[in-house]
Amino acid sequence: MAVPDRGVVQGPPARPVTATRFLNWGTWGAIAVLFAVSVQQTGFNLEVVGQGMGDFLRFFGRLAPDWRALPQIWGPLVETLQIAWLGTVFGTILGLPLIFLASFNTTINPPVMFVARSILTVMRSIPDLLYAAILAPILMIGPLPGVAALTLFTMAVLAKLASEAVESIDPGPLEALRAAGAGRNRMIVFAVLPQIGATLTSFILYVFEINVRASVIIGLVGAGGIGNLINRYLSFFDYSGLGTLLIVVFGVVLAIDQLSVWLRSRLI
Amino acid sequence: MSIKRPADTIPATPPSVRRGNVFIGGAALLVLALTIFFLVTLDPLPTWARLQSGFERSGLPLLRGFVNPNWDVFPLARNAMIETVFMAVIGTTIGAVLAFPMAFLAANNLLGSRLLAFPGKTFLVGIRTFPEILFAIILVAATGPGPIAGILAMGINSVGFLGKVFSDVVEGIDAGPSEAIRAAGGNGLHVFFYSVVPQVLPEFASYVLYRFEINLRAASVLGLVGAGGIGAVLIQRLQFRRWTEISMIMIVIVVVIIVVDTLSSRVRRRLV
Amino acid sequence: MSHITFANVEVTYPGGLKALKGVDLEIPQGQFVVIVGLSGAGKSTLIRTVNSLVVPSAGDVRIGDRSVTRARGGELRRLRSDIGMIFQTFNLVKRSSVLRNVLAGRLGAVQPLRGVLGLFPKADVAFAHECLRRVGIPEKAFARADALSGGQQQRVGIARALAQRPSVMLADEPVASLDPPTSHAVMRDLKRIAREDGITTIVNLHFIDMAREYADRIVGMRDGLIVFDGTADDATDQVFEDIYGRPIDEDRDIRGRT
Ligand SMILES: Nc1ncnc2c1ncn2[C@@H]1O[C@H](COP(=O)(O)OP(=O)(O)O)[C@@H](O)[C@H]1O
Ligand SMILES: [Mg+2]
Repeated sequence: MAVPDRGVVQGPPARPVTATRFLNWGTWGAIAVLFAVSVQQTGFNLEVVGQGMGDFLRFFGRLAPDWRALPQIWGPLVETLQIAWLGTVFGTILGLPLIFLASFNTTINPPVMFVARSILTVMRSIPDLLYAAILAPILMIGPLPGVAALTLFTMAVLAKLASEAVESIDPGPLEALRAAGAGRNRMIVFAVLPQIGATLTSFILYVFEINVRASVIIGLVGAGGIGNLINRYLSFFDYSGLGTLLIVVFGVVLAIDQLSVWLRSRLI
Repeated sequence: MSIKRPADTIPATPPSVRRGNVFIGGAALLVLALTIFFLVTLDPLPTWARLQSGFERSGLPLLRGFVNPNWDVFPLARNAMIETVFMAVIGTTIGAVLAFPMAFLAANNLLGSRLLAFPGKTFLVGIRTFPEILFAIILVAATGPGPIAGILAMGINSVGFLGKVFSDVVEGIDAGPSEAIRAAGGNGLHVFFYSVVPQVLPEFASYVLYRFEINLRAASVLGLVGAGGIGAVLIQRLQFRRWTEISMIMIVIVVVIIVVDTLSSRVRRRLV
Repeated sequence: MSHITFANVEVTYPGGLKALKGVDLEIPQGQFVVIVGLSGAGKSTLIRTVNSLVVPSAGDVRIGDRSVTRARGGELRRLRSDIGMIFQTFNLVKRSSVLRNVLAGRLGAVQPLRGVLGLFPKADVAFAHECLRRVGIPEKAFARADALSGGQQQRVGIARALAQRPSVMLADEPVASLDPPTSHAVMRDLKRIAREDGITTIVNLHFIDMAREYADRIVGMRDGLIVFDGTADDATDQVFEDIYGRPIDEDRDIRGRT
């Protein structure tokens, strides 16, 4: 065997940073104080909780489904899935360049990487419903603001997940292609995509699962989909309609989850 | 230079490879077809003129607000954001405290039987299927608006999430230390407190922090459906289209979430 | 045309470590040069200045009359596409097919859009198969790269470099991850192809026996400087002991005998 190139002799092992350094009495105390302040400031107490949960459970009784509501639910449900699908597709397409610009091994130069990462950080800090609420008045009521909201949301979430995968690829093929005179785009297509393809597809499916859930609620703020109908049922006190809707949503979300999880398990 | 051969010496692609290509091509076509179908059936698509007027009336003022935010609303936004953080703290704590025992019920390596693990897991899956906002609107309808509804919604959803990941952690622990304690004459409680808990605690803590990041985002928008926090301030401004104030509120939300994310992920990286 | 000139080449790595301290070397076209030296002597650094993976802090590396060191952007990529490189760890895309790995060698030559989309001209695909034939594994074209043995993977690496139709070939410890019989087989292939195609070749090798067997010319490095330059016959054991700075007789680590 050849002697492998080794930089420096290894020093003593670093002191393991264990949880004990964080989970000591000081931390528990700080958490307790934070919790106490929170409770005091929000007027939260066990009585309120008991009452709230009681109301909540009693309310469930009024959600007895009425299957005659089904025909009304069908259209908005399809629109919901439409929004989730399109948001995922467009978010992926627009997010891909950002993924590579934000990864140190595929970016153009450090300033570009910094800008891409900053944009992603801000985009990622905005919740899906906030995107929808802001975009609804701008893009008008209907499915379009929903698609736009989930597109932005997908870009942010996917780019974060995927750029970690890109940064942990085997750098060897990248170097080989650089040595062979390939430019950045060709290196990405030939050395990066084959390595992250399965992971990326799995992430896209995962984001789609999240988007299906999100697309159910963005209609609450006017961004299209079944959330509109939820609002309508609530304002007309049509609780059996609401109950029916919730059961349908439950079934559809669960089915899509299972399908997606199954696909993901086959990928890796 | 090397010998050039005519192009007809390319060997035939083997059937297995061709099948793989056909499968990938088929999947791509299916995605494309669905996308086009969904795109053309979007209804109603607003007209260009309406989009333009929407942008001029709402988009532009919002963007201008980011450059030059309205500081008048800052104290209100700050206080509402503090309340939002408090809501997330309580919601996460409820989730963590309830998920802790549930994790052990839903893990199938501790009770030794799947009898309890199965209903435990099913219950957790059921909860996670609904987004917390859905719980929130039902709670608001049932108990009236305010932060309590939001807190409970987050709590319920957090139990679903944390119960699931906690039980995965419990199922992944090393059996060695537990056996060692049993071999030394320890009972079930000893095993639990000296082997199981120390093994799972760092990962539990990491997931709780992660859930806190999620809950803070949720808490920021729960107010949009009447469940308290800064979203309540936001929805009023949205109704009256006060865009410069909305920009200020968004800035407060984004800054606080980025700061909390950064701190939390830093701690998480050192925990596990 | 493709003779290589190192003119007073110095390399200082970030952090201040001086890996090359003024190297002057002329390699005529078609020569098969083996560079030997201890780990850390600067062999990899030297070889990497030829395709500008490492940029000299002083001096100049030229191929023919073109400076690699000064080349940038598209010009550098064109120069690189004329230089094949083989790596100790093969650097294949493991999840891609062997054929696709070999075709990657054509990336520098095809039109940009074709390159990005992976739509290679028929002639290129045929040539990739031809390259695999030359390294003796034509039947592996459609296998996944990670399904191959180490020796076969390095042959794919060589085929990828050949697919560039290079006039210069660089090999950085190409056999260090292989067992001795496989090492010899790979070195024989490399030498044969270099001879047939008249490719100027620089190989870093760790084992002196192998260096003596395959080199037209041996260059010894120590501490960032060239300390020996001669034929295999000139490179006596005494010379190697000077290069390595220690007795080599029973040192299997350096001799490479098993
Ligand atoms: N990327 C790098 N950054 C800093 N120092 C390096 C780098 N690569 C190599 N070195 C150092 O430069 C010297 C020469 O390394 P190298 O050319 O790899 O030697 P060899 O290939 O002969 O083992 C060594 O001391 C090595 O630690
Ligand atoms: Mg080396």
